[in-house]
Amino acid sequence: MKLLEIKDLTIHYVLDEDTVEAVNHIDLALEKGEALGLVGETGAGKTTTALGILGLIPDPPGKVISGEIIFEEENLLTKSAGQMRKIRGEKISMVFQDPMTALNPVLTVGDQISEVIKLHQNIPIAEATARACQMLEMVGIPAERINEYPHQFSGGMKQRVVIAIALACNPTLLIADEPTTALDVTIQAQVIDMIRDLRAKIGTSMLLITHDLGVVADICDKVAIIYAGEIVEYGNLTHIYNETAHPYTKGLFGSLPRLDIMVNRLNPIPGIMPDPTDLPQGCSFAPRCLNKCDRCDIEPPQNHEISPGHIVRCHLYAEDADDCREVK
Amino acid sequence: MKPLLEVKNLKKYFSTPAGQLHAVDDVTFNILPGETLGVVGESGCGKSTLGRVILNLLPATDGEIYFEDEPIVGVKRDKLMQLRRNIQIIFQDPFSSLDPRMTVSELISEPLETFKIYKSKSERIKKVESLMDTVGLAARLYNTYPHELDGGRRQRIGIARALALDPKFIVCDEPVSALDVSIQAQILNLMQDIQAEKGLTYIFITHNLSVVKHISNDILVMYLGKMMEKSEAEDLFNNTLHPYSKALLSAIPDPSIDNRRKRILLKGELTSPINPKPGCRFAVRCPYAKQQCFEVEPELEEVLPKHFVACHLTREINQL
Repeated sequence: MKLLEIKDLTIHYVLDEDTVEAVNHIDLALEKGEALGLVGETGAGKTTTALGILGLIPDPPGKVISGEIIFEEENLLTKSAGQMRKIRGEKISMVFQDPMTALNPVLTVGDQISEVIKLHQNIPIAEATARACQMLEMVGIPAERINEYPHQFSGGMKQRVVIAIALACNPTLLIADEPTTALDVTIQAQVIDMIRDLRAKIGTSMLLITHDLGVVADICDKVAIIYAGEIVEYGNLTHIYNETAHPYTKGLFGSLPRLDIMVNRLNPIPGIMPDPTDLPQGCSFAPRCLNKCDRCDIEPPQNHEISPGHIVRCHLYAEDADDCREVK
Repeated sequence: MKPLLEVKNLKKYFSTPAGQLHAVDDVTFNILPGETLGVVGESGCGKSTLGRVILNLLPATDGEIYFEDEPIVGVKRDKLMQLRRNIQIIFQDPFSSLDPRMTVSELISEPLETFKIYKSKSERIKKVESLMDTVGLAARLYNTYPHELDGGRRQRIGIARALALDPKFIVCDEPVSALDVSIQAQILNLMQDIQAEKGLTYIFITHNLSVVKHISNDILVMYLGKMMEKSEAEDLFNNTLHPYSKALLSAIPDPSIDNRRKRILLKGELTSPINPKPGCRFAVRCPYAKQQCFEVEPELEEVLPKHFVACHLTREINQL
């Protein structure tokens, strides 16, 4: 059963002089219990997509231009602010990138965890505090530390607290925006391991936003690659890692220095991401693409399902793309 | 071959209200001309402090540094200025390391003006243009300001500034950490090309083991100011000896779904580098630690040819 389905979502930031086309016609689906990795570089539209789901796009300047976000069979975009407030934190919650700024420095971690519980569940304070203790233990922090303040915790511990807050009401969907990026590798490994364990235990579905293909391989079932506000490739781990199809995804893998393979030179993607206020007329990746043909400059590509569940947005995979393939 | 840079028993302590913070504690290594030494470790291991002490941006507490047989520690200011012509640094964050009120050309010609390298302005302009070409900055960006450029281009300015005085040695302090992967690869290739062309020597400081393996000849692993392991790059990855290096390597998320590596999860987090307890600094998190590790500090020892390890139990753990 589909828990979340995003159809044709377009979000723009309308500024005085120009319009930032942050998210353009995104389609995404997440099954119950699944973990989907949304991978892309800075400015690709990852965080805007997440904020769109939560109804947190700052308006102005943000505008949802078109699309539907179907969560548990209801369109979130038609909900009122009050209804969204009930959903956020209870059904959908979010883990932010930077644990140093996500916590309130003048409240104890216990207060910050029980705050969510008190807001959404009508239970006595003592019970909420007991539940906060349980949450702390669940993320691997001794319950005695419940009355400590964020500054008394290290970065990895703070991120555990943020995760405890996000999971406090047993949400059906957890959106994690670069949850381990600010952490050191050995601490990152601990947090990844914990996220994996917790998912196995409580079965929360997850949308993991990251730029790190390594973290995705560790946690996710499905992967969506986002570039300039469009999903360019979508599939399961095998599709993305072993049957890589889109030239951008191939470029991403070529850019990564690898531990297991020795290469003398990396194969970076030439150029830089297009300006989102001035996207190319055809395929937005065309100016950097090594397999580009004339058609790519003029006509935006369509989605092509090249094997069941593996969708690529590229002219190379169109049925009438013979002229493109010759160039390749 | 004679080493270009020699570092002997280098120490840098900071005085804090809570006591002495041992940022760099007894670090010793050599770098040969034209080679790259990668320094890896997690935040707080002293890797950036090490880079800054080498440049004498921070005075060393104890120990010696020689650049082409000339001492760097405790050198006088005019001598230091001369040394800095040969030793440069590329900073981590291209967003905060460039003066926002200077144009690209002003930024790149600043070191040339400081050292009064060229008498005429036209010569200086020519040098700036050739530097911009070397680092792949289009000539049309000559009069732009840093805020108009993306991170990759800003980092290219940082590299051009470091190259301006034709140094022999560059300290690269996390030069690609703030960049996206596709841009990171462009900058790494550029740095390798420049090194090959000009015969530069690098010390490459980073927390990213994949990057350090890609670019280095030798690798030094640090933990809380101490050297844990040092060896040739390939050797460190194929024959990892120190328990910390093993855990660090296994912790890197691998962008592949075949043959997943088994992960060694470390307990706990970094301990405080302020007034460290006797014994091995890694002992509290080490899965192998014995009584001895908490009492006696292990010496750095050449366990295999060119492979140095500071661990009491190396031979036992690795069956050497």
